[in-house]
Amino acid sequence: MLKIITPTSKPAIVEWEIKPETTWLGSSLKELFLYKDLLLRMVRKDFLSSYQQTLLGPLWIIINPLLTVLTYVLIFSRVLSLSTEGIPAFVFYLSGITLWNLFSELLLGTSYVFSQNIDIFSKVYFPRLIAPLSTLLLNLYRFGIQFIIFLIVLIYTYSSGQAVFNIRYVFLAIPIVIITAGMGFGAGLIFSVITIKYKDVLNLLNVLVRLLMFVCPIFFTLSAIPEKIKWFAKINPLSSLFEIFRFAFFGVGQIGIFSFLYSLLCMFFLMITGILLFNKWGDKLIDII
Amino acid sequence: MSDVVIKAENISKQFQLGEIGTGSLRQDINHWWQKNILKKDNIFYATDQSENSHEKGNQFWALKDVSFEIKEGETWGIIGRNGSGKSTLLKILSRIIKPTYGTIKGRGKISSLLEVGTGFHPELTGRENIFISGHMLGMNKQEILKKFDEIVDFSGIGAFIDTPVKRYSSGMYVRLAFSVAAHLEPDILIVDEVLAVGDTEFQKKCISKLNDASGKEGRTVIFVSHNVQAISNLCSNAILLEKGNVAAIGNIKPVMNSYLGALQKQRWLQTFNTLKEAPGNELIRLIYIELIPQTLTSVSIINITTPIKIKFKFHHAVNIAKVTADLLLFNTSGECIFDLASEPFTCNKGFIEGECIIPGNFLNDGVYYFTLYFAHDASTEKIYFEECLLFEVADFNENASGSDKWWGLVRPNFPFTLNAATNSKSYC
Repeated sequence: MLKIITPTSKPAIVEWEIKPETTWLGSSLKELFLYKDLLLRMVRKDFLSSYQQTLLGPLWIIINPLLTVLTYVLIFSRVLSLSTEGIPAFVFYLSGITLWNLFSELLLGTSYVFSQNIDIFSKVYFPRLIAPLSTLLLNLYRFGIQFIIFLIVLIYTYSSGQAVFNIRYVFLAIPIVIITAGMGFGAGLIFSVITIKYKDVLNLLNVLVRLLMFVCPIFFTLSAIPEKIKWFAKINPLSSLFEIFRFAFFGVGQIGIFSFLYSLLCMFFLMITGILLFNKWGDKLIDII
Repeated sequence: MSDVVIKAENISKQFQLGEIGTGSLRQDINHWWQKNILKKDNIFYATDQSENSHEKGNQFWALKDVSFEIKEGETWGIIGRNGSGKSTLLKILSRIIKPTYGTIKGRGKISSLLEVGTGFHPELTGRENIFISGHMLGMNKQEILKKFDEIVDFSGIGAFIDTPVKRYSSGMYVRLAFSVAAHLEPDILIVDEVLAVGDTEFQKKCISKLNDASGKEGRTVIFVSHNVQAISNLCSNAILLEKGNVAAIGNIKPVMNSYLGALQKQRWLQTFNTLKEAPGNELIRLIYIELIPQTLTSVSIINITTPIKIKFKFHHAVNIAKVTADLLLFNTSGECIFDLASEPFTCNKGFIEGECIIPGNFLNDGVYYFTLYFAHDASTEKIYFEECLLFEVADFNENASGSDKWWGLVRPNFPFTLNAATNSKSYC
C-alpha cells in the first residue's frame, strides 16, 4: 500500500484564503456571478416586501410620480408660471421627475445599504456588492415602469395635438439613463461607506438630495436661469442630463457635447471611487456598524 | 481522508472599545488633529497600560494568536465561556469579519449557520424565504428546486408554505429555517448555537441530521455551543478558548475536562478576607460560602448521584436576635427548584456558621445557582446574596445520548418496581 506523505500540513490545494487585508477590487467577477441567483432573489424580495399589505400594491410605482407631478404643476406652472418652452407642463415635469426619481432613489437606497442589511451582513457571507447591486436593479426596474408611463403620457399629448415633438434624437435617452443611474449608484456607494462611521451624514444627505432637486433643471430650463448663477448649473453634472433627456423626446433645449462629456466623466469618477471604497472599507467597517 | 482543509495561523482580532467608531465625526477630526498637526501621539488610546494583555486601554483583543488545523471529515467543537472569543472566531471563519492579524487557508465550500433563518423576511411567504435563505447560505437555484419538496417535508409546515412567515408560530419559523440549513451540501459546515431553539422533538431530528452530515456524508463540521452534552456527542475534537487564547486543543475528552474544571472553580467558593469587603449590611456580613461535593473519589465532579454540602459563615453585628438563613436554588432558566429555610437561631455578636446537605439522586443534570438570604427580626428587609454559588450537575451515565435530556426539574430515585401480577386469571 502506498502512503503519500506531505511534508507540510498545508491544504493540498488552497482554494481560499482569509487575510486581514481588504482589497480595492474586492470579489472577483467570477464570484459575483456565482451569486447571481441571490442577486435576482434579493431584487424580488425587496420588490415584493415593499408592497405587502398595501391596497394598490405595485401600482404605487405609477401613482407616486403622477401625483408628485400634479402637485408641481400646480405650484410651478399655475402659481409661479415658470416657462416650459411651449411644452405642456405635465409631460415636461414628468420627464424630469422620472429621471430624477431614478437618481435620487438610487442614491438614497444605496446609501442605506449597510444600515438596512446589517442583520444579514453580520450573520452570513456573500460578496457585499450584491446588496447595492440589487438596489440598482430594483431601481432600474421601477424606472422602467415609470418610463413606460411617461411614454404613454407623451404619446397621448402628441396624439391629442397639444404639442409637436421632434423625436429625431430619441436614442440620446439611452446613454442619459445609464449615466444618471451610474452617478446615483456611485455616489450612493461612497455615502454608504461614509455613513457607517458617521451616521449623521445620512440626515444631511436627505436634506441635500431634496435641495439638489430644485437646483436641477427639472421644473425649468437652463436658458431660464439668470446669467449670474449659470456657472452653478454648469458645474452640476446632473444639469445637462435633464436637458439632453428633454431634448431627446421634445426636441427643445440647448445641449452641448462638452457638458455631456463632463457628466460622463463625473459618472466614471463616482462609479470607480464608489466601488473601490466599498470594497476596501466595507469589510473593515463591518466591526463598527 | 486526512487532508487538511482549514489551516489557521495566529488569528488575532482586535476591537476598539468605547466611543471610538460609534459615529462621532468631531472626535475623529480632533484625534487626527492631535496626532498629525500637534504631533501628540496616541492621546486617546494609550491611557491605561495594564498588564493584562487581554485588554489594553481602549483596545480589546477578542482573539489572540489562535492557530489550528482541521482535517477533512473531522468534527470540531469550539467551547469557552461567554466572551471567550468563540463567536469572533466563528465570524472570522465565516468571512463575516476580517482578522486583525493572521491568515486562514483552506479549500472547499463553506456554509455557516450563525442564526436561525438567515435572510428571512417576515412579510414574505415560506416559499420565497426558502429561496432567499438558501441562496444566502450558498445554494443555487437548481439545488434548491431539486430539494424543495424535501425541505418542506422536513420542516413539516405543509400547507403553510404560501403564508407569510410572520404569521407562523415561532416553532414553525424555526423548523422551516433549520430545514433550509439542513439541506445545504457544503464541504465545511459551521454551526453556531442554533440548536438551542426549537422543541425537543425537532432538536433530536436536527442533531441526527448533523450526525449524518459528519458521519455518513464525511463532511467537516465546526460546531459552537454551550451545550456540553451536544458537543461531546457530536465532536471528536475541540478547541477551548479562554479570554481569546487557546487554552486547550485536541481530542474532545481532555479538552472537555479542562473546560468543566475551569467552569467549576469559578463559583464553588467565595471568601472575603476583611469585614469591609464582605457583602451584606450593618447587621450581617457574609464571610465565605463554599460548595463541597461529597464524593468518595478525589475528582470533584458533581453528577446526579453526588450529594452536595453547602457551608457558609457570616458575621453578626448585634446581640440576641433571631436569624433565619434561607437557600434558594435556581436553574439557568431562572426557575426556583426549592426554597429551603433553616431553623430560627438566636445569634449573639460574632461569627456564625451554617451548613446544609443536598442529597444525591435529587437534582437533574444542568447548571444551577444558589441564592442565600437572611431574615433578621431586627430588620424588615431580607439580606440577599444573589447567585453566590454556581455549579453544574453532570449526567451520571456517560454513554447517554446528549439529545435525550432527562425530563423534569428534579430527578429523584424513588422506589419504582414492576412485578408479575398474581391474580389475572379472569382476563384470560
